[in-house]
Amino acid sequence: MIESLTRAAWFVAGQWRWFVRVGVAVALLRLIVPAPPRALLEPPQTVETRDAQLCVHTRLMDEVDEWKIQRTLQLVRQIGAPTIVEFFPWAYIEPGKDSYNWTAVDRIVRHAQNQGIRIIARIGLVPAWARPAEDDRPTTLNELPETAYADFATFVAAFAGRYAGSIDHLIIWNEPNLAFEWGYRPVDPEGYVRLLRVAYEAAHSANPQVIVLSAPLAPTLEPPGSPNGLNELLYFEAMYEAGLADVSDAIAIHTYGFTTPPDAAPAHDALNFRRVELLRDVMRRFGDTDKPVYITETGWNDHPRWASAVTPSQRIAYTLEALSYAESQSDWLQTICLWVMRFPASTRSYPDGFTLVTPDFQPRPIYDAVQAFARGWSPGGALWLPPPAAR
Amino acid sequence: MAAAARRALSRRWRWLVAPAILIAAVWLLRAATAPEAPLLPAGVLRVGVDPSNPPFAFYADDQIQGLEIDLAQALAQALNAQIQLVPLGFDGLYDAIKVEQVDIVIAALTPDPLRTADVIYSVPYYDDGLVLISPADQPINAMELLSGHALAYPFGSEADTDAHRWLRRIQPFATQAYETPATALDAVRLGAADAALVQATDAHVYARAHADWQHVQQAVAHTPFVIATNAKNGRLAGVIESSLRQLQTDGTLAAILDRWL
Repeated sequence: MIESLTRAAWFVAGQWRWFVRVGVAVALLRLIVPAPPRALLEPPQTVETRDAQLCVHTRLMDEVDEWKIQRTLQLVRQIGAPTIVEFFPWAYIEPGKDSYNWTAVDRIVRHAQNQGIRIIARIGLVPAWARPAEDDRPTTLNELPETAYADFATFVAAFAGRYAGSIDHLIIWNEPNLAFEWGYRPVDPEGYVRLLRVAYEAAHSANPQVIVLSAPLAPTLEPPGSPNGLNELLYFEAMYEAGLADVSDAIAIHTYGFTTPPDAAPAHDALNFRRVELLRDVMRRFGDTDKPVYITETGWNDHPRWASAVTPSQRIAYTLEALSYAESQSDWLQTICLWVMRFPASTRSYPDGFTLVTPDFQPRPIYDAVQAFARGWSPGGALWLPPPAAR
Repeated sequence: MAAAARRALSRRWRWLVAPAILIAAVWLLRAATAPEAPLLPAGVLRVGVDPSNPPFAFYADDQIQGLEIDLAQALAQALNAQIQLVPLGFDGLYDAIKVEQVDIVIAALTPDPLRTADVIYSVPYYDDGLVLISPADQPINAMELLSGHALAYPFGSEADTDAHRWLRRIQPFATQAYETPATALDAVRLGAADAALVQATDAHVYARAHADWQHVQQAVAHTPFVIATNAKNGRLAGVIESSLRQLQTDGTLAAILDRWL
């Protein structure tokens, strides 16, 4: 057996010239692989709008093709939104400790600047090297142990310094009042504020002009002790009690309308668009109303079956009313960002009902309506036929 | 010279192969005697569900109900296990599996190739793909046969995109966008369009509400709904797979689908 294996090895070794020839041929063939499509920059563009507060949340870091980033940002400019919120995952950019890959961020910044669009960066998602070892239990990309806060701060400083002048707004983390967003651990407002503190100091040391926004909280009625999370009003109060006012330059807020119109009155036991006013009441109680507020996610969903969705025409009407509301509150409200411009691929589920543009760049009805609003155009004709009658 | 070199190499091979066989034998022995991980670590079948997606899972009378709840219960019965429903949001479904908060997720998931390192997907239990609906007395049984006819679909939907894709492939047909799937189907039922392109669930829900309407349905594209199990618990994934196949074979799954759709 071993004898025959040895003979086979010697035979293969005798064919080394063929291995070399095939290797050279493969190397040459690789050279003629077509280059990936490039996205050449346009002449510098500016956003034409009458709504300086309008903003859309994009999902560009998951794009592989550069031209899709450019096309998305062209559509952002054309809708009349001067600002985007984009999520920049720490795990993507620093996959190994002190080993940075800025390529994906650079190209988004390059194209956003080319389109005349300001970026608000949301930072989170923990690389494996900064998470607890999985020997005892599995962890998720949202679990950052307190022992790694300094690593996160180092990353924030690197990000803030590199993009100073290009990205001057940083949101630290996302919805930490949900257990899922806190690594499926019990939520911890004091722990979050400690994280924010180290990130705030690191960001300001790297870019004195930076505006650090506290994490937007998820609208939820979860009571204390719930394994899923905590009512964001209670969590927000706890953040202030832990010192939020001293470690933030602005407050980011998520507020959704769900099935109610935007003028539905705020109430502690109801989730609706004007819940933002209850959060502002908390700010008032802690004497922090001079601090600007950024709504970094809002909107309505028009999926045909989701329990919290509305019809496409209701979605349009409610969204435009919400934009008008934001205009009326412009003394404290800096932006109103619609979730979400476009997903790189369909979720094949109700989250698709939040998008303004399909994955293949077909504008949905809400896109045209927001564009007409923001650019001062008269609304276009009907996008769909009226309900049919029997003929 | 060559023969001597071959003999020397052969001797070296023996020294390499013998320890390798020994190591493999020890490893196999340890694997065979290691205590087997429990099929259900919590002692019950913990099922992650998204109760915001009727008719698959939704709250009614403070209870989670729906097609996927019945399916979960049927699977638990097949496993002879108690069931624990864990309500989750769409964004947290996969992380809940990863941190072992749930054993499986049944929540209108479609297979995602990027997740296959963390989860094992089952065979589909339902297909929510696009379907072509036309009147039974004037059937249109394929998209290729739409030329010259009028097609209704919900504006801005996957059907809208697919309809325009077909416009580039076959002779022209008239496109009629409506605000909702229901109004697109109304158009066919009331004679304002020759066919409608909608998702299968919308077609089922509509057909249930208009039980006397005679129509035909043809699948155009597939959107399979599957069960996800933690990849670390391959044994459970296997049991779920075989149980689901059994539910398909014995008609239980068909009865559940029939109840809710």
